[in-house]
Amino acid sequence: MSLDNLRDLYQQVILERYKKPRHRGKADPVDRYQRGHNPSCGDTIELTLHLSSPEGDATDPLLQQIEEVKFDGEGCAISMASADLMAEALRGKTVAEALDMVQRFQSMMRGEAEFPKDLRKLNVMQGVAQFPVRIKCANLSWHTLKAALESAQTAEPVGW
Amino acid sequence: MTLATERSLATQYRADFPILNQQVHGKPLVYFDNAATSQKPTVVLDALMHYYQHDNANVHRGVHTLSSRATDAYESARDKVAAFVNASTREEIVYTRNASEAINLVAYAWGMTTLKPGDEIILSVMEHHSNLIPWQLVAQRTGAVLKFVNLSDTQEFDLSHYKTLLSDRTKLVSVVHVSNTLGCINPVEAIVAEAHRYGAKVLIDACQSLPHMPVDVQAIGCDWLVGSGHKMCAPTGIGFLYGKLDVLRAMPPFLGGGEMIADVFLDHATYADLPHKFEAGTPAIAEAVALGAAVDYLSGIGMNAIHAYEQELTRYLWAQLQQISEVTLYGPTPNADASNRASLASFTTGAVHPHDLSTILDQAGIAIRAGHHCTQPLHRIIQAQSTARASLYFYNTTSEVDVFIASLKEAIAFFSDIFG
Repeated sequence: MSLDNLRDLYQQVILERYKKPRHRGKADPVDRYQRGHNPSCGDTIELTLHLSSPEGDATDPLLQQIEEVKFDGEGCAISMASADLMAEALRGKTVAEALDMVQRFQSMMRGEAEFPKDLRKLNVMQGVAQFPVRIKCANLSWHTLKAALESAQTAEPVGW
Repeated sequence: MTLATERSLATQYRADFPILNQQVHGKPLVYFDNAATSQKPTVVLDALMHYYQHDNANVHRGVHTLSSRATDAYESARDKVAAFVNASTREEIVYTRNASEAINLVAYAWGMTTLKPGDEIILSVMEHHSNLIPWQLVAQRTGAVLKFVNLSDTQEFDLSHYKTLLSDRTKLVSVVHVSNTLGCINPVEAIVAEAHRYGAKVLIDACQSLPHMPVDVQAIGCDWLVGSGHKMCAPTGIGFLYGKLDVLRAMPPFLGGGEMIADVFLDHATYADLPHKFEAGTPAIAEAVALGAAVDYLSGIGMNAIHAYEQELTRYLWAQLQQISEVTLYGPTPNADASNRASLASFTTGAVHPHDLSTILDQAGIAIRAGHHCTQPLHRIIQAQSTARASLYFYNTTSEVDVFIASLKEAIAFFSDIFG
């Protein structure tokens, strides 16, 4: 078996996060809720976000700050680890910054970009780009996040 | 280990499938995804090529030589399919794109026009989505009610529960012959006989039985039976519906268009006789011809021989899987001669998610399926979000099972190292 290839995909961090996620659960309070589903494999994620408004400019939703992201769901090591790492990386980001991160993550899955130093933990997902059929696993949480941020609070599932 | 019949089957016929002779990620391909689609033997590929190089023309239209040859090839393939399932006449075989289209044909042409509010349709909880969604649509449109046969303790079709569901309100029973997930072989003769006592019609989804064992529509006694070409050595894009002659005659057309007509006027038309009444438009001619070649090929080997060999493979596969403590298997345990189940095994392992397992095995050249296999409700019932499935065919060998088992153990170890 080509274990070297597999170690690129299943980096230690990914397996650890799969085994012991740090951000499973439900945000309190829930300002955004979004369910994401990959019907081809059955992976499911429920994402909850707690947002706060910055001083002075409460009207611009893009400047709202992400206080907490939690996820629940069932899926493979890639999708669950990706969700856990994402939840961690989003803390303290504004909605606008988070939407940029969604773009960057999807570029990374195409092998076109990586994250800067302060977000380099997310770069462990780079190995997934070599396994095209698994990219949707890594993208599930980010796709769900985008829907959560772009919509008002909703329970509509995100399809693929 | 070499099985007695293996020398005369897998080793004898494997060379007919050139695709099997390749390396994937540097390892010999082990193709264990046959329940999704089978590979195609050279004779079937040759039939496609021969048709396009020598006989290609539209069918039932021209009087020229090629059209006549194309029509003969297309219609003689129908004779082969009719003989393969022991239909009483060739008019009982309607070509469709696939089994889903065949079920939809019955759902729309019969279900939508016949069923009334309160009529009951009995399905089982193990149905493939293709034998569930069409009936949901029919029920929503007609007011008919869906009833579901549960699993028994052994995760098989619960015949006694089925009997309690039957009543004078039952108008249709539509069930799978062999479950693509559980691998159980359902007692279709008994299912049909019980349903007919109440005057209900019965449709059998034979996608997973036709490639692997003899299927005799007259012995089963069903009103309809559907099959999928690509799971039985034929190309994609061709399937068929068997229907009893009087049942098909009583049904209005499904799709309208060329080929299915007799006389056409601007405001009305009369329809062609069976089976063309249900074959609107230019059909998949080459694929139908190739289906005929596939049926000839399988019949040449013998469906009894295929079934017997696959039962040996099943016992071998199952025994190995049972020895791995992390593996949970679904569906009935094979009995002494494995006559109660098909040559597939759906399973989960504690540590490795089926999708991760499929990626890891792929690196070892092994193709298995991971997911819900188009049976989402069944997966909820067996409490598995998804399962891994190894599904074998007569060209697979016990040596391939050994490779699969060794890689499966490696994959479990790979994850267990991390998990401690």
